[in-house]
Amino acid sequence: MRLSVAAAISHGRVHRRLGLGPRSRLDLLRNLVTALVRHERIEAPWARADEMRGYAERLIEYAKLGDTNERAMRMADFWLTEKDLIHKLFKVLAPRFQPHPGSYTRLLQIPNRDGLDRAKMAVIELKGNPFPPLIRPRRDTEKTLLNQLLKGYREDMQRAAAS
Amino acid sequence: RVNSDGKPAKFQPPPKPVIIDKQKQREERRFLSPEFIPPRGRTDPLKFYIERKDMIQRRKVFSIPEFCVGHILAVTTADPYANDKASRFVGICIQRGGKGLGATFVLRNVIEDQGVEICYELYNPRIQAIEVLKLEKRLDDNLMYLRDALPEYSTFDVNMKPVSRLDHEEIPVNKLQVRMKPKPWSKRWERPKYNIKGIKFELPGKKMKEAQKWSQPWLEFDMLREYDTSKIEEKIWKEVSEELKK
Repeated sequence: MRLSVAAAISHGRVHRRLGLGPRSRLDLLRNLVTALVRHERIEAPWARADEMRGYAERLIEYAKLGDTNERAMRMADFWLTEKDLIHKLFKVLAPRFQPHPGSYTRLLQIPNRDGLDRAKMAVIELKGNPFPPLIRPRRDTEKTLLNQLLKGYREDMQRAAAS
Repeated sequence: RVNSDGKPAKFQPPPKPVIIDKQKQREERRFLSPEFIPPRGRTDPLKFYIERKDMIQRRKVFSIPEFCVGHILAVTTADPYANDKASRFVGICIQRGGKGLGATFVLRNVIEDQGVEICYELYNPRIQAIEVLKLEKRLDDNLMYLRDALPEYSTFDVNMKPVSRLDHEEIPVNKLQVRMKPKPWSKRWERPKYNIKGIKFELPGKKMKEAQKWSQPWLEFDMLREYDTSKIEEKIWKEVSEELKK
């Protein structure tokens, strides 16, 4: 059995390869998750933010189980390197997201990084944060064809009604 | 017999005997068979639904008992080259694999000092009977290490009588710690990746510590690897038990 070919094919593999290895990848994502819980809105390379999004949402789901739950506490203890954030997670974020069943984060792309690498960057934020809202792309703008036609029709009607 | 009015009493037929079909009552399942649970992936759930319908159809015709890894089973298959056109194999179930109609289980036994493992498919139409001879759970989910254990742990009497058990009792867990043949083994069972609790390791402490070098303590905290099947299991359990009752 040619194991080398099997290792080179990555059909169905969901985890990206970041950092130096699996441990390093988890440490990187852990730092990002800690920063997100502390600042509630961070900028990071898009690939890392995308990986981190899944872990952040699962962490909040664990937090929703309550801090008396042994597993939830161990998970929070591992994933949050700054221990004062464990309190914030269970006392502030879990009640905030209690009514929501699903997505707790928002991922939006921003212009590429200014340094030499021109990396694809993204901003990831927890919903319900206290900062001013981000500029989200609205699919329905005034510049779409249908909206322009409707605007023209409205103006025609107004002109006909005025005259 | 005369009533209080003086008229003859109306004939009351004797009450109908209530037939309690003990065979059917004993068929209650305790847990869902693992091959019904669909694996995690991007396949259309329609495929699993169709497969489940076929599996239930087969189960209506041929009763597959529920068993775990560690139970001792006897399987009779149709064999055109055997004397009675049927061959019977008794063995301990060491592994249950596959999902859907291709679900398999491997039975192991040692016959005349030769270890024999046969991989049967649960939904193979050639299988004529599956009997559970002994219900007993072991400490692990995968008993492949019995290949490297002393042969006495894999020998089972071919003409064993089924051990009678009462229903509505927990399946007993056999906390047997198996002794192994000297190394080399087919796999390095002492490594934490296999997480085996049923072997009595007689290796020196240095080797055990060296094996712990391959432990990945971060793996239990990797949340995206967890597959929570409780809700899916409940839905499928309801669906399957309803269909089987019809």
